[in-house]
Amino acid sequence: MSEEKSKNRTWARWVVLAAILLGVFLFTGVGLGIKPIMPEVFLPGEKLSETPLFGIPGLYLTNTLIGMLGTDLVVFLIAFFVYRGVKSGKMVLTGVSGAVEALLEALHGMTESTAGKWTKIIFPWFAAITLLVLPANWLGLLPGVETIGLVHEGHGEYAVRDLGSIGGLKIQTIWDESGEMAADAHVEEAAHATEDTHAAEGEEVHAEEEHHGASIVPFFRPVSTDLNFTFALAIVAVVMVQVVGFRALGWGYLTKFWNTKHFFSKPIFGFIDFAVGLLELVSEISKILSFAFRLFGNLFAGAVLIFVMGSLVPFFVPAMFYMLEVFVGMIQAIVFGMLTMTFMAQATHSHGDHDEAHA
Amino acid sequence: MDVAAATILGKLIGAGLAMIGAIGAGAGIGIVTSGAVQAMGRNPDAAGNIQTNMILGIAFAEAVAIYCLVVALLILFVIG
Repeated sequence: MSEEKSKNRTWARWVVLAAILLGVFLFTGVGLGIKPIMPEVFLPGEKLSETPLFGIPGLYLTNTLIGMLGTDLVVFLIAFFVYRGVKSGKMVLTGVSGAVEALLEALHGMTESTAGKWTKIIFPWFAAITLLVLPANWLGLLPGVETIGLVHEGHGEYAVRDLGSIGGLKIQTIWDESGEMAADAHVEEAAHATEDTHAAEGEEVHAEEEHHGASIVPFFRPVSTDLNFTFALAIVAVVMVQVVGFRALGWGYLTKFWNTKHFFSKPIFGFIDFAVGLLELVSEISKILSFAFRLFGNLFAGAVLIFVMGSLVPFFVPAMFYMLEVFVGMIQAIVFGMLTMTFMAQATHSHGDHDEAHA
Repeated sequence: MDVAAATILGKLIGAGLAMIGAIGAGAGIGIVTSGAVQAMGRNPDAAGNIQTNMILGIAFAEAVAIYCLVVALLILFVIG
């Protein structure tokens, strides 16, 4: 058994080596002379079709929506494997279910040390958020994501090249033909070398006429790089923090925001308490912004980082950044869940008790 | 200088200036981690708890740098 496994591994090693050599061959100009291209970066999710979904205006099929469906599929697969693992009746879970068990045990330990007796209510939110965001972040690292898509003509700066067709489906790629274009420009410059002003005018017209490049709209983009997803998740998290607070303290939870307990008995400090309560209200709203931008910023910046590194040095170097992104994706998923958990645990503490303990 | 070139120049300079805010976050993350590592060295039994709080602190400090990054990305890719 073990011998067979090690044999498989050596086989995989040769495949990786061959892939690396192919990358070096393709991108150093040894082979076809194809240069890596600078990607076009779009902040919002790109539309794959111009007709709204289900006839609802403003709702389009974007590539981040497909990313969301892919993430859901992974979550359902994890749930299925865990269900099968638990059903099998083994005492020690193995494979996917074992990994999920280890993760959940770690998260449960963290929740218990922070939330105490409210663990049972708070832990599901922590685990659910982490288990949704983790696949959403890691799916962006698969090969083919953000590179395979529809060719969008009339937008961008690279030329389209036909690669062939499979069953009537045209397969194209965009590539950098700047070598030839640079040669053209050079010839023109030589022709107009005597008259500087004319050369400048000619180049401008040329640039305007030549602007019919293409870019690729990928089919699949990780959903964490869409602000709509991160904002929705942040709003869910912050609203549920309030709900947990109400469950723990009842209507008394509202005294955290509208604190008039010492307003008349201690004139100055009572007023300060009241102002701090109003500031708490602002901080709840800023929590939404902070949650949403943290996840979005980290993941979007990571995607752009990998694009740029891939276009500067197309082999070896991106591997290191891929490793960094695996780490960042995991940390951000756990941080999102952990902050939700911490805020929920704070919301279960009565504000009044806290003050008296300090005094 | 024509308007298009000036716009690009302004966007690039603005994005660069926006990222100055990352200085504070970098220093903050360094201070948080140094404190946490010292605490772990003094009391290795509490390492798990300290690590949790350290990651929370880092996340809060990092949020500021992420705001800068989002502003820079908005300047580069959305505005204009």
